[in-house]
Amino acid sequence: MTAFWSDHATLPAIVLATFAPFAAFFAIMLFTRGRPRLSARLSIGAISVSLACALYLPCVHWRMEQPLEYTAQWIASGSFSIPFGFLVDPLSLLMLTIVAAISFLVQMYSLGYMAGDPGFSRYYAFMSLFAWAMMSLTVASTVLQLFIFWELVGLSSYLLIGFWFEKFSATQAGKKAFVMTRVGDASFYIGLLLVLLHMGNLDILELGGPKATESMSPGFITLAALLVFGGIVGKSAQFPLLTWLPDAMEGPTPVSALLHSATMVAAGVYLFARLFPFFSLSSTAMTVILAVGTISMLLASTMAMVSRDIKRVWAYSTISQLGLMIMALAAGGWFAGVFHLTTHAGFKALLFLCSGVFLHTYETGDIFELSARGGRNLKIPALTLAVGAAALSGLPPFSGYFSKGAVMGALSGLTNPIWALAALVGVLLTAYYSFRVVFVIFFPGSGVAESSVHSHAAGEGHEGGHAETYRAMAWPLLVLAGVTLILGFFEAPLRGFLFGGATAPEAHESVYALMVHYAAIGLGLLGVAAAWVEFGWSRAKRVGLVERWSPALANLFAERWFLDHFYRAFMESVIDKGFASLAHWNDRRVIDGTIDGAGRRTIDAGRRTALWHLGAIQRRLLTTFAVVAFLALYFFL
Amino acid sequence: MQIEYAKFPWLSAILFCCVAGMLAIVFIPEERKTLIKKVSVVFSGATLALSAYLFFAYDKGVGGLQFAERVQWIPRFGIQYFNAVDGFSLPNLLLTGIVFFTGVLTMWELENRVKEFFALYFLMVAGVFGLFMSMDLFFIFVWYDVSLFPMYLLIAIWGTTRKEYGAMKLTLYLLAGSALILPAIIYLFAKSGLGTFDVAALMHPGTFTLAQQKLAFIMLFIGFGILAGVWPFHTWSPVGHVAAPHAVSMVHAGVLMKIGAFGVLRVAIMICPQGWQYWAQLMAALATIGIVYGALVGLRQTDLKYVIGYSSVSHMGLVGLGLSTVTPEGLNGAVFQMFAHGVMTALLFSSVGYIYDRTHTKAIPELGGLSRVMPVASGYFILAALGGIGVPGLANFWGEFMVFIAALKVYPLRGVAVVLALVITALFMLRVVQRTFYGPENPRWSHLPDIPFSLGLPRMILASVLIVLGFFPSILFDMIQTATIPFMNGLLR
Repeated sequence: MTAFWSDHATLPAIVLATFAPFAAFFAIMLFTRGRPRLSARLSIGAISVSLACALYLPCVHWRMEQPLEYTAQWIASGSFSIPFGFLVDPLSLLMLTIVAAISFLVQMYSLGYMAGDPGFSRYYAFMSLFAWAMMSLTVASTVLQLFIFWELVGLSSYLLIGFWFEKFSATQAGKKAFVMTRVGDASFYIGLLLVLLHMGNLDILELGGPKATESMSPGFITLAALLVFGGIVGKSAQFPLLTWLPDAMEGPTPVSALLHSATMVAAGVYLFARLFPFFSLSSTAMTVILAVGTISMLLASTMAMVSRDIKRVWAYSTISQLGLMIMALAAGGWFAGVFHLTTHAGFKALLFLCSGVFLHTYETGDIFELSARGGRNLKIPALTLAVGAAALSGLPPFSGYFSKGAVMGALSGLTNPIWALAALVGVLLTAYYSFRVVFVIFFPGSGVAESSVHSHAAGEGHEGGHAETYRAMAWPLLVLAGVTLILGFFEAPLRGFLFGGATAPEAHESVYALMVHYAAIGLGLLGVAAAWVEFGWSRAKRVGLVERWSPALANLFAERWFLDHFYRAFMESVIDKGFASLAHWNDRRVIDGTIDGAGRRTIDAGRRTALWHLGAIQRRLLTTFAVVAFLALYFFL
Repeated sequence: MQIEYAKFPWLSAILFCCVAGMLAIVFIPEERKTLIKKVSVVFSGATLALSAYLFFAYDKGVGGLQFAERVQWIPRFGIQYFNAVDGFSLPNLLLTGIVFFTGVLTMWELENRVKEFFALYFLMVAGVFGLFMSMDLFFIFVWYDVSLFPMYLLIAIWGTTRKEYGAMKLTLYLLAGSALILPAIIYLFAKSGLGTFDVAALMHPGTFTLAQQKLAFIMLFIGFGILAGVWPFHTWSPVGHVAAPHAVSMVHAGVLMKIGAFGVLRVAIMICPQGWQYWAQLMAALATIGIVYGALVGLRQTDLKYVIGYSSVSHMGLVGLGLSTVTPEGLNGAVFQMFAHGVMTALLFSSVGYIYDRTHTKAIPELGGLSRVMPVASGYFILAALGGIGVPGLANFWGEFMVFIAALKVYPLRGVAVVLALVITALFMLRVVQRTFYGPENPRWSHLPDIPFSLGLPRMILASVLIVLGFFPSILFDMIQTATIPFMNGLLR
């Protein structure tokens, strides 16, 4: 039962939460570009307001029986009208809180990380834009509105990935991210327009209800669901549109932290969870989605196993974990998917922010070099890195353990055991590659011990000189590590909150499910052990399993299964050199050629005709003679 | 159609401002360049104010033609000076006002033959305004040509790349268009048996037989379509855009191409609706090709203005596609897209204008890293490019959205092709942005100043329009609806 006054405060709180960062964005762009400190204050102030609102709302609506919807007339055209509105239900509130909290922490962290950057104001402006777009996405009441902010999230990512625009690789990565997600978005766009045409509106709550089944045939629902899922494939970097995400590392690391945890890629999974009832209408679509999630999870895990760049490892792990969330959702485990999204947001932000400190201090992302230069001397980042890796691997008692357990539970509910098996393989690989990074950095090995002493001192000096910067970056790590430690124990309350007044469906604990559960723990530990054997202990060879086993395979993984090669070749030879050149040639030669040719012929004809009007008597006489001769011949012969 | 006469000739007042502005400029001595520019700002600002006033004073509840004024001119041939506006023409009127005013501001730094430039510029815009408000076929044709000829001089004298060629090509193409329009108008006049050029009268259902409508429609469609950049009659437009001086490019791509689309709507579609339905398939095919084709050719361009030119071909294809669907959504989307594209493309050319005036090049490979040197000027271009890509939050998204809905409803496969073309548009626009504005700072340009506030003003106005409409599309949709719904209802009856 909500108090009387809280009903009145809900709408203003939502509006305030979403609008504050937008206002900050505009204010910074228009007025405070020349004053970086003020810009940062504006942006952080705005996100604090959002965070306060976002924390306030779940408290008020802890036991929510009915979703609240606030709508107002927005556009009307022809046969339909689309309102602008806010949808308040446990899922949107949860996501709103996650986004606000992570954005807040990342912005605080950026005070240290981005200090002294010439684009400091611009950075905070784009951060605010990002926060606004993502938070508005979470509370959108129609799919169209969601799509609009979805695109704006993509735009903000483009701007932030290419933030250091003087670097070619950064602008290239930004463009790639935008265009590649746009391929998915085009599919989403078509899907939503088709639904709009058939249903007459795009209300999220109605989409999974009886109105959808009445107005659309099952085959059509499958088509629409798969088209909409295309958008998720792009946004959440699933197979085959996954290669933009590792490249997105080119942006500043806090951006990656935000991008990989609570915003951009999370938007895809959020959309899936949001439209879960709609997707559930088509079991065919769900099976396809399950397969896509599985493929993405396994592919990305293999890529992560051989990457030497710390951020790239986490990027691949994001793809893989998103695949796992999508698998959970597609298996019908709505809560498992959402819960894993929640915990993942925490520990993935943690992992990236840790990596950011290493990157900021040593200016390299190569794990072996970090190790050689004494990366483990950065105590807080190193420790929290281990916490994050443990959560990512699903080790108890970290948050990842609980959410992965829920995911496994959902997958073990399927009749076909192959999905659970695939997920188990994924768990093994995940534990291996996460702890590979941890052990490489923690145990530099004997070969490089001497040089490490040297750079140890250098590292300390660096750190000492920027103590303030370091502190600004360290405390968000501790907060996130703390969250990662305790979040898992809030599974039951969270479940209660998400299912509102309705009783939460209890997980069925069959023997099979328990077996899968323990297998997951065992395989996780096995993965850690494998990493220890290869990289941890004193006599480790520090060469990965895959590299030793088959260099060709390692190359395949490192080259991302040659997906990028394929895309590049397609872009260059089919689009650029194929269609575009053909069209260009046609424009120049055929169309313009015809027109210019016609023009020239006309001029020539004019010249020739003009000749007849010159006073050339001889030619006239000659012509007269010829004509007469011709006529004479004609008549007399 | 319902007509409400005005107590004050607001529409003629707009034309009066243009002509008076032109005359005032003519009488100012050549040396007083600043005075000429100030006078231009005042008069063009007045047209903007008047068109904005009409836009908001129009009674949407009543609809129909409003602010009408009618004077018999040559009664024998039924030629009248008959101006009136409705939901189709008001957005275009407002667009013209905006682009006109910001165009004058964009040319603030002009030094070469200032007087002649602004005088011709005013004359050209007078033709544009006249065409949008006229409800008499004869006058529509006259205004069409009034807007055309100054364009030739403006490009040939003040233009840049291959200006004589561009100017001549443009003029010949558009004259070929008018060579189709004029016979069609005379044909309609003769066959109606009403002895009038009054569009409102000719619109009456049953005035023309199906065969007459088919013939007249196709002539008018191609005639006006040339001006709207319909594929394959589009090649004059990129060449013309490139050759023209900035403000003329703005008016040219921003407004002049809309005249073509508006002519198709006002004359061809409204007078020959059955011809419209008959030829809709062809219109849709040409539009779809234009959209995809324009984007593809855009990929290969290395000149900033050429890129914008081909993006215009692609974007105007969306207008054509919207018109070809014969649905209220399609018409709404088409008119909205006309407005949004006009503002966006004006912003693009205006931004390029600033850059070109400083660097004296439009070749993309020579530029690069401009974002560091002139962040604000680059920002305007990037904003407009994002509009062209169809990013929500900017006006173009809504035009595209409506057109896509209508297209998917009527021509599903073409609709899909067009949505996919969005990806190509994004690719080439972002490529241009990347190569021109990103990358390491080019030492050749590092001394250049960023755009000051005063010169940034026109860009700021255009950018604000894009953003405001991006969030509140109803401002425009509600207006267009007042014309679309009665027209489509009348058609279905």
